[in-house]
Amino acid sequence: MLSSASTDTHTVKLSPQPWRWSHPRVLVEHPDEATGLAIASGLRFAGYAVAICPGPAGHGRCPLTGPAGCAPAHDADLVVSSLGYEHESAREVLRELRTRYPDTPLLVEAPSDMDASLRELLDGCHQLPAPASTEQIVAAVQSIAGHPSDEGSTDA
Amino acid sequence: MRSPFQSEQEAFRFVLLVIVALLPVVLAAVLGPAWLALVVLAVVLLAGAARVAQLRMRKLRGLELPVKMAPPHVGSPEERRVLVLAGDTLGEQALLTEVERLARVPHTHVLVLVPALISPAARLTGGVDGLLDQARVRLKTALDRVGHELVVAGEVSDADPLEAVEDAFATFTPDEVIVSTRWERGAGGLDPALAGLVRERFAVPVRHLVFEHGSGAQEPDAATEARYRHESGDAAARLFGLRTLAGAAVMAALLISLVALVRSGERNEARTVSQAAAEQAAAAPHVARLVVLKVIPEYKPGPEGEKHDAFTVTEFTVKVGQPQELRIDNTDEVPHSITSPGAGVNIVVMPGIHTYTLLVKHAGAFLWFCTFQCDEWAMQHPGYMSGYITAT
Repeated sequence: MLSSASTDTHTVKLSPQPWRWSHPRVLVEHPDEATGLAIASGLRFAGYAVAICPGPAGHGRCPLTGPAGCAPAHDADLVVSSLGYEHESAREVLRELRTRYPDTPLLVEAPSDMDASLRELLDGCHQLPAPASTEQIVAAVQSIAGHPSDEGSTDA
Repeated sequence: MRSPFQSEQEAFRFVLLVIVALLPVVLAAVLGPAWLALVVLAVVLLAGAARVAQLRMRKLRGLELPVKMAPPHVGSPEERRVLVLAGDTLGEQALLTEVERLARVPHTHVLVLVPALISPAARLTGGVDGLLDQARVRLKTALDRVGHELVVAGEVSDADPLEAVEDAFATFTPDEVIVSTRWERGAGGLDPALAGLVRERFAVPVRHLVFEHGSGAQEPDAATEARYRHESGDAAARLFGLRTLAGAAVMAALLISLVALVRSGERNEARTVSQAAAEQAAAAPHVARLVVLKVIPEYKPGPEGEKHDAFTVTEFTVKVGQPQELRIDNTDEVPHSITSPGAGVNIVVMPGIHTYTLLVKHAGAFLWFCTFQCDEWAMQHPGYMSGYITAT
């Protein structure tokens, strides 16, 4: 189920890696702060280090779409993307994620009524029907990335 | 001391950047004058400082995407870790009541963190210990008032409050953060904007509780939090801008002084060299381009009163390696010579007026004499048919 369809890769020059923890790292992209925190909390209690990004909505240009790239995305072990894809800026982020980090598993909360271009963009991604609960997301992450406690991870 | 680098990769990149940035400085130092190297160094430093300032200003003004982070939860799923950040509000009963309430919840660990709020001036003047003691006393007094059956940990930090929270995330791994402040920042109190900054940085729930004297806890609304954040960002950006300007001014003044010093040194050196050359030139005997002289038989009286053959000029001063022309009128009927084996000179002076070239290849004072048989006494006495060539 894991996507590795995209072959259009290019090198990214990055600012320093900001993750301070070496546990399995999950980047959660969610525009709603409270929901993002709830997902993060679920993932933290499941043993993952988390980063939450609100995405480009209301915050100008996402660095992922610029030359600098996005350091949290660069070193994430898995990305959970729940940006909603009615806006082109959100699709652009998704496109960049798939292009720049084709080997990083991407779990997307996908709407049921997808247009053809979005369906094509999400082809090969791990998908959850939107809106997904925190428990569903945590379970999906665990099924993709495995249980961190099984890996005996340690602090950075 | 905290490392400014977050990873080895970042430190390595910094070292590379420094090397690349210093290359033009080294090249300028090697290929040009010292002041040029200083100017290039100034340009490199200013460019670096401008970039850092630009990034810092973006961060302070909240223009960057706020990515929050948090480590995994530590302990069993039932456990909760609550970090309480407090300053002067530790004296408020309402805060202690809240701490007790949290500590009574089963499987809940509470850590009260008190930043000592050490200003840069206090760090410079060594006033750190007093502030730390003050914070320790405040914490101990507060914890003594908490019910003795409860376990509440306390910690004093000498770091900046936000860095102290970051440290606590590494050691205590909180699941929730409570920031207690007053409505407005006072002496010894935490900045009300701190809650917003912690919320922006860490992916755990952050509660901001405001305590005023004798009243219960209140939570600021979103608009107030936004105002705090805005004011704090602007104030920090202004402060950073002023510090940057002051730093740039100090650096510029230092560099200008250094350039002036180096150039002044170079000028002094040049002046010293030219003065030395002038003094040397002044001290050296005058060297004429053309020396005119005669050889005259029975011309100059000796000490016994008799007249002897003589050159009218017997002391020649020349520059080493520079030809000196001699126009000699030999009034005698036979040739004479100016011969000096030491100077490598042998000029045969034929009767009549002729021009000869005197060339000495090394410095020194050399005796010359005439090798043609003439006045024997005069041939042996400088000032007659003998003399000295001085080459400088």
